[in-house]
Amino acid sequence: MTRTASIVGMIVNPNAGKDIRRLVTPATHTSDVTKVGIVRRAIVAAFESGASKVLLMPDNHRLAERASDRIKGDIEVLDMPLSGSRFDTIAAAHVFCQAQVGAVIALGGDGTSRDVAIGWPDAPLIAISTGTNNVFPSAIDGTSAGAAAAFVASGAVCLSVVARRSKKVVVKIDDRDKSLDDLALVDLAFINSMFVGARAVRDPHTVHAVISCVATPASTGLSSIAGRIHPVGRWETGGVFVRLGAGGRKVRVPLAPGSFTTMEIAEVRRLGEGEKISLSGKTVLAFDGERDLPVSAFGTVTAHIEATGPLLIDVEQTLVLAAQALMFDETARHISEGNHVY
Amino acid sequence: MEISTTKQFDLHRRMVRIRLFEEAAGRLAEANRLPGFLHLYVGEEAVASGVCGALNDDDHITSTHRGHGHLVAKGGDFNRMMAELMGKATGYCKGKGGSMHISDTSLGMLGANGIVGAGSPIAVGAAFANRYRGRGQVAVAFFGDGSTNIGAFHEAANMACALHLPIVFACENNEYGEFTPRHKTMAITDIVDRAAGYGMPGVIVDGMDVIAVHEAAVEAVERARQGGGPSLIEAKTYRYYNHHGIQNLGLKYRPDEEVATWKQRDPIFTFEDRMIENGVATREKVDEIWAELRQDIETAIQFADDSPYPTPDQIMVDVYTKSSTTIGTKS
Repeated sequence: MTRTASIVGMIVNPNAGKDIRRLVTPATHTSDVTKVGIVRRAIVAAFESGASKVLLMPDNHRLAERASDRIKGDIEVLDMPLSGSRFDTIAAAHVFCQAQVGAVIALGGDGTSRDVAIGWPDAPLIAISTGTNNVFPSAIDGTSAGAAAAFVASGAVCLSVVARRSKKVVVKIDDRDKSLDDLALVDLAFINSMFVGARAVRDPHTVHAVISCVATPASTGLSSIAGRIHPVGRWETGGVFVRLGAGGRKVRVPLAPGSFTTMEIAEVRRLGEGEKISLSGKTVLAFDGERDLPVSAFGTVTAHIEATGPLLIDVEQTLVLAAQALMFDETARHISEGNHVY
Repeated sequence: MEISTTKQFDLHRRMVRIRLFEEAAGRLAEANRLPGFLHLYVGEEAVASGVCGALNDDDHITSTHRGHGHLVAKGGDFNRMMAELMGKATGYCKGKGGSMHISDTSLGMLGANGIVGAGSPIAVGAAFANRYRGRGQVAVAFFGDGSTNIGAFHEAANMACALHLPIVFACENNEYGEFTPRHKTMAITDIVDRAAGYGMPGVIVDGMDVIAVHEAAVEAVERARQGGGPSLIEAKTYRYYNHHGIQNLGLKYRPDEEVATWKQRDPIFTFEDRMIENGVATREKVDEIWAELRQDIETAIQFADDSPYPTPDQIMVDVYTKSSTTIGTKS
């Protein structure tokens, strides 16, 4: 592996961790100050661990500028137009791909990682949770994330050793004269609702069906439905389809953090990799837990699960390998090109 | 939470009433037919409508200098509002309050307020009284992003949380304090980040989406009514007109492209499209509603035009209250 530079890219979703669920559940509020602190720690740790450059997505909250203020090093906030929406993340991830970024750190929820995957399908990614029902990202401190990203970006720790290809739900929507392609990294849900509204899916009676590629009982949110009756791990192939309705098991589910409800399971079945499932009719699609796209009565949604998601970097494994290779010794602080050991 | 068809039409009607009243007021001001200042609510209709649509008739609200929308959303009478704006004796304040003091206590609307940030402590007082009287009423303080830099807001938020009062703080973050962009007056972007400092939950909603606002408002109001205490809703919104309602003054504090971008997400038109798409409404039905309410506006303008000005002998009437009790003594 040869790289011209050891570039770490960072994306912070300014909107994550502040939605309506703070009002109806004890979900965590993630302030801008908290996000700035995480990114700041990640930048410092990245330079400490051999990054030659840090690229940051700009945002309407100026979190990138605040996080990088007065840190010495080659830091660049991308010069790109801002929409103030998820499309900023998609665009920044695409720019990172073009710029041959070696590792991306993304702060946000499942939706933020989803947007990274749309902008850069093969992104080498460390996903830090600052959202609500996060399944794809993890609670990782910026210090550890920044160090791991730098070790991977520099090639000091080999990406193929510490990263695994994640799964995604590949979605095709045909609705009258429109045809759209989309994806989810955790789950696609069909919601009986007229509106996107406040986005979060809170009413259990409106959930018609869920396709999950990761379903664990250790999560909260829509993926926890399947997670409590038919768990599917992050690294298992395929996923699970659940249809809600009368006549089946009644399961207690934390649809939001600290908030439990009973959901009645009409159908549950395993989905093999690539196995297609189609549902027609009026619905609102929720991608990774948030209502996002209304589909008309004439629409058909086809989805399948495949292992073509982002390359998810194992931060702990990366740092263990770095420690075993004495990379934290004073003499190893300036890790040079081609000095990777794994 | 699914919104019933009846409630959808209710929210739509509130928004259209605000839009038509405000645009009519703007035209009258530009024609020099309204005395005093005018601050129009056009563009922000989803916030007042979504919140007031979650309130009971006897719940209280306090307002801002941009207060017409709040009164309309609470059920304000066009005739009396238009007469007040024209300074006529048939107006809500008998023509002596004008735009920035418009109120209707019978609707629980405790007044617009010309002092930035001054409404929030009044709402706290109403919330305190409501809990004291035990009638299950809730108070809502409407306020702008700029007012959260004012001491009165902080004192109000602190007292409301310390006393665990039945109140909802409804912030209309339109990104500008008069002619100054938000980032020049505060180091934070989201007002909701301030909520935790007082010990209350805070949420952000799309203030151009009446359903999003209403969903949050229903939860916040119910929480307050059930004894859950204060909460803060920050609605990201935008005013189409300048700080005040007169157009074409050559003010260049915000780019035209920015205004145009926000208008693409117009809260009324996007909601109408969804209602029609969902089969709840037809274009014909929507057009009927606009036509009916336009007629109401014309009637209100005529009513105001035909109404007399207050006479000079009324100048001191209603200025000071007649106190029937003295503290520490029996009435």
